[in-house]
Amino acid sequence: MASPITAKEKPSENPILFVARPMATAARQFAKSLIRPATIVYPYERLEDPTFRDRVAVASGRPIGVGHVWDNYRGVHALNIATCISCNLCAFSCPDLCIEMVTVPGGDPKHPKKCPEIDYGKCSYCGFCSDACPEGCLTMTTRYELSVARRAEMVYSPEKLYDVFRTKLPMNPIRVERPANEDAILLDPPLCIGCNACSRDCPTQCITMLDIPKPAAKPGEKQTKRIWKEPVINDSDCVRCGTCISVCPKECLFWGTRK
Amino acid sequence: MASATLYSVSDGLASALLHALGSVLPGPARAAVTNPNVIVGLAVLIFAVILLAASMLNTILLIWWERKLLGRFMDRRGAMHVGFAGLLQNFADGLKLFRKNTFQPQEADPLGFYTGPCAYMVTSLIIFGVLPISSGWNAGTLPLTLLLALAIFSFAPLFIFVSAWSSNNKYSLMGGMRSAAQMIAYEVPILLAVVAVILVAGSFNLTTIVYEQQNYWFWGPLVVALIVFVAGMLAEMERIPFDLPEAEAELVEGWNTEYGGMLFAFFMLADYLRALVGSILVVLLFLGGWTMPTWVPGALTSFPLAGIFWFMVKTYTVFGLFVWVRASLPRVRTDQLLRVGWNRMIPLSLLSIFLAAVLVTVKCLPLLGCVPGVGS
Amino acid sequence: MSEMWINMGPQHPMTHGLWNLRVKIDGEMILDVDPEMGYLHRGIEKISEDRHYNEVITLMDRCCYVAGFAWEHLYIQSAEQALGLRPPERAEYLRVLCDEFQRIASHLMWYAAFVQDIGLMSPFLYGMRDRDLVLDLFQSYTGARMTYEYMRVGGVRNDVPPGFTDQARKVLDWLSDRFVEYDQLCLGSTIFRERCDDLGTLKANDCVAHGVTGPMLRAAGLKRDLRKDRPYAAYDRLEFDVAVADSADVTARYLVRMEEMRQSVRILRQVVDWLDRHPGPVLAERLPRWLGAPYAPIGNEGYLLKRHYAKGVGFSAVEEPHGEAQAYVVNDGGEHPYRVKFRSPVFANISAARQYLVGYHVADIPPIMGSVDVCVGEVDR
Repeated sequence: MASPITAKEKPSENPILFVARPMATAARQFAKSLIRPATIVYPYERLEDPTFRDRVAVASGRPIGVGHVWDNYRGVHALNIATCISCNLCAFSCPDLCIEMVTVPGGDPKHPKKCPEIDYGKCSYCGFCSDACPEGCLTMTTRYELSVARRAEMVYSPEKLYDVFRTKLPMNPIRVERPANEDAILLDPPLCIGCNACSRDCPTQCITMLDIPKPAAKPGEKQTKRIWKEPVINDSDCVRCGTCISVCPKECLFWGTRK
Repeated sequence: MASATLYSVSDGLASALLHALGSVLPGPARAAVTNPNVIVGLAVLIFAVILLAASMLNTILLIWWERKLLGRFMDRRGAMHVGFAGLLQNFADGLKLFRKNTFQPQEADPLGFYTGPCAYMVTSLIIFGVLPISSGWNAGTLPLTLLLALAIFSFAPLFIFVSAWSSNNKYSLMGGMRSAAQMIAYEVPILLAVVAVILVAGSFNLTTIVYEQQNYWFWGPLVVALIVFVAGMLAEMERIPFDLPEAEAELVEGWNTEYGGMLFAFFMLADYLRALVGSILVVLLFLGGWTMPTWVPGALTSFPLAGIFWFMVKTYTVFGLFVWVRASLPRVRTDQLLRVGWNRMIPLSLLSIFLAAVLVTVKCLPLLGCVPGVGS
Repeated sequence: MSEMWINMGPQHPMTHGLWNLRVKIDGEMILDVDPEMGYLHRGIEKISEDRHYNEVITLMDRCCYVAGFAWEHLYIQSAEQALGLRPPERAEYLRVLCDEFQRIASHLMWYAAFVQDIGLMSPFLYGMRDRDLVLDLFQSYTGARMTYEYMRVGGVRNDVPPGFTDQARKVLDWLSDRFVEYDQLCLGSTIFRERCDDLGTLKANDCVAHGVTGPMLRAAGLKRDLRKDRPYAAYDRLEFDVAVADSADVTARYLVRMEEMRQSVRILRQVVDWLDRHPGPVLAERLPRWLGAPYAPIGNEGYLLKRHYAKGVGFSAVEEPHGEAQAYVVNDGGEHPYRVKFRSPVFANISAARQYLVGYHVADIPPIMGSVDVCVGEVDR
C-alpha cells in the first residue's frame, strides 16, 4: 500500500511568466486545430459512416474513431413483423410503458396478431424490450434522428418499425444469452380443468393438450363423460412469456424448476 | 499614395450626382441643385454614410474574425454555414435580433433604458470620424484628433451606467457599477501611456503621429507604454480577462441583462465598435498606422489602397491578439482588477512617460528604433 | 445601497443545473447565503418502489447525469445484497472499469464547467472534447453515451466487445497527455492562482460536521476514500493512491480532482490488463426467474402470489465522483423493492454553502461553487 500522496503544493510562480504559459498552450492548441478541429460537422459528416470515422481519428490525432463500435448504439427500434410471435414480452418489460401491442393483419380472427407500437415520446432507449424479445425480431438500430413536427408522429406503429427494419440499418449485435437453467412453467394437475386456454393462446404453440387416463369411477358413481386433457409444455420451444399463466382460469400454472 | 481622399471621392460623387440631376431640371432648379453649398452638403452626407457603412461592416467582420479565431483556439470551427466560411452568419444574427420584439421591464425607467444603448452606440460611432485610416482617409485634420478620440471613447461608462441603473435589475446595477469603476480606473493609465506617444511624436494629431513613425514604429522604444495601453484597452473593451462587468458566470450578462432584440444588438455592436477602435488606436499609435517599413518590397506597398489594406491587416492582427488573450486567460476579480489598475498600471505608465522623455531628450530614438524602420 | 438579497438561480449561469442560491450581499461582499434545492425533484425513490429491480436501473442513470455508472453501481450493490446475489468476478472488474471511466468523464465535465466559471473559455471545450472519447468507449459496449442501463442485478448486461481494451489503452494514453495541458492552462496561469488560492476554505472538521465528502473532504487533508476504507467490487485487488491536499481551498480541490483522474488512469490500466487475461461470465449463473436476463419480469398477479423469495435489506456505499453516495434497499420478498433510499453527496456538499461562501466576493461564488461540483440530478433525485 503506497503512502498517502499530497497533491503538489503551490509551485513558486515566476511573475515574469505571468500569463505566458497558458497562452503558449492555447497557441499550440490553435496550431493543432488549424489542421483538423475535433468537432464533427454533423449534417455533412456522420458518426455512423465508418470511413469518415477512421479519417477523423487519424487526422485529428485522437486515439479512437468517433463512435467506435457504433453498431452497438441503442437507437430507434426495428421490428420484423414476419417473425414476431405476439408474445407481449417487450410490452411487459418496458419500464416506461411506452409499448402497446396493436393488431396487425396476418393473424386469424380468433388469435389476432399483435405487434408492438412504440411511443418515442416516452421511450428511454433502455433496450430492455429488445433484450426480452425471444425471437430477435425487435432490435435496436443506429438510427437517432427523431425530430418530428407533431407529437402524434412520435408514435411508431408496427408498420413504421417494420420500415426501419427494411432499411437494413446495422442492428445492435449484442444479444443476451438465455440463462442455462431458467425456471419453467409447471402444472398443478389436480386444479386443471383441461379448458385449453393456455394451448390456444400460446404464441409459440408449444403447449399441446394430451389425453390423460380418466380417473376410475368410484363405486356407486357414474362414469363421467368428460374428456380429460392436460397441457404438456415443450420447454425448448417455450419463450417463458407467461401468457399461459395469465390466461389460466384456475391458476394451475406457475413458475418453477423442473425436476 | 494617390491624392484621392475619402472626402474628394465623396465630393466628386456628390457633384457628379447633382450635375446629372441638374441637367434634366429646368433653369432655376438646376442652379439651386448645382449650388456649391448644396454639393458640399451632399458630399458630407455621402462621406458620413460611407464612414458609417465601412465602420459597421468592419465591426461585423471583426465579430466573424473573433468567432473563427476563438473557434480554432477551442478546437472547433466557429461559424461556417451561412455564406462562405460563415461570413454572413453575423448578418443573419443581426437580422434575427432586428426582427425581435424590444421589451422593457415593468419598473424600468424608459428614458434611461432607451437612450442608454442609443447614446452608447452613437458615441462609439463618432470616434470613427476622427480616426485616419490612410493618408487623407479621415474627416479632417483637426490638430487634436487623438485627444478627441480618447475623450469620446471615455463617454461609455456614463451611458453604460445609465442603462444599467434604469433597467432596474440587481445584476445590471452591479455590472454597471463595476463597469464604471473599471473604465474610470483604466482611463488614467491609458491617457498616461498616450502621453508618452505624444512626447515622442510631438503632436496630438493622429496623422502626424503616424507620419512620425515612418522611420521607426513606436512599439520598440515605447514598449512599456504599449503594454500599458493594450492592457488598458482590454479593460476598456471589457474583454476577458477584464470582462467582469458582464461576467457571465455571476452576473448573467452584467449591465445588459435586461436588454433584448435591437437594443441588445446596439450594445453588442457598440462593444465591437469599441474593440475596433481600440485595435485601430494600437495600430495608429504604436504600429505605424498605414505605413510599411522600407524593406518591404515596393510592389506590396504601392498598389491602389495599399495603405488601407495594410492598415486593416495590422488592425485585425492586433484584434487577433486580443482574441488570443481571451482564449487563454481566466477572468480577474473586481478588487484585483482595480488593484492592478491603480498599483501597477499607473506606475508603469509614469515610467513609460519618463522613458519617453529621456528618449526625446537624448535624441537617441533612431538608434533604439525598432527593426522594421531602421535604414530608411 | 445597503444589503440586498439576490437569487442566483434557478436559471442562472452559475448554478449548473436547477437550484437556487440566495445570496445576501453588501456591494460585492457576501453576507449570507441560502441554498434552495428541489427544483429537479422527480421522486425517483418513490418510483423505484413501483418498478422491478432491474427496471430501477433506468432511473439511476438519470439520478446523476454525469456519473450514471456510479449510481447504477451503487443501486446494484444494494439490490444484490438485499436479494442475496453475488456477481461473477469479471462483472466486478467491468463495474470498476465503468466506475473509473465515469470518474474521469465526470471530473472532465467538472473541469470544463469550472474553468468556464472563472472565465477560461477554451479549456471548457478541451474538457468536453476529451470527455467525448470516454463516452465513445461507453457507447462501444453499452450502446449509449449518457444513460447506459448496463449493469444488471447479478452482473452486467454484456461483455466488452473485442478490441475494446486496445481502444481503452489508447484513450488512457491520450488522457494522460491532456492532464499536463490542463495544468498548464490553470495552474500555470497567474490569474488562475490569484483567483483560486485561499478561496472557499472549508477545513476538515467543518467538512466532517456538515457531512461533506469526496474531493472537498480530501482537499481539506482528510484521507478518506471508500474505495480504500470500505472496498467494494474489485477495488481491494487494485493498486492506487488516495489523492489528498491540505490547503482546503479551491486550488486544493482542483489538485485533488486532477490527481484522482491520474489515479483513475492507473486503476484502469490494471483493470484493462485483467480483463484481457481473464475471460468469463459476466452475469450470475442462477438468477431468480424474474431477474434473469434477457427475460424481463412479468407483471402477473397469479405468479406473484405464489412466489416466496427470501427477504432482506441491502446497504452499500460508493465513492462517487462527487463524494460518498449511499443506498439502502429493502426487499420484502416481492417483485419490487419495498423501499429505496439514497444519500446524495452533493446535497450535503452544497448544504454547507454558508460555511465556505460567506465573507468572499460575489465574483468568488462561481469558482467556489464550481469547485464543489454540483450535480443537481442527484441532489433532488
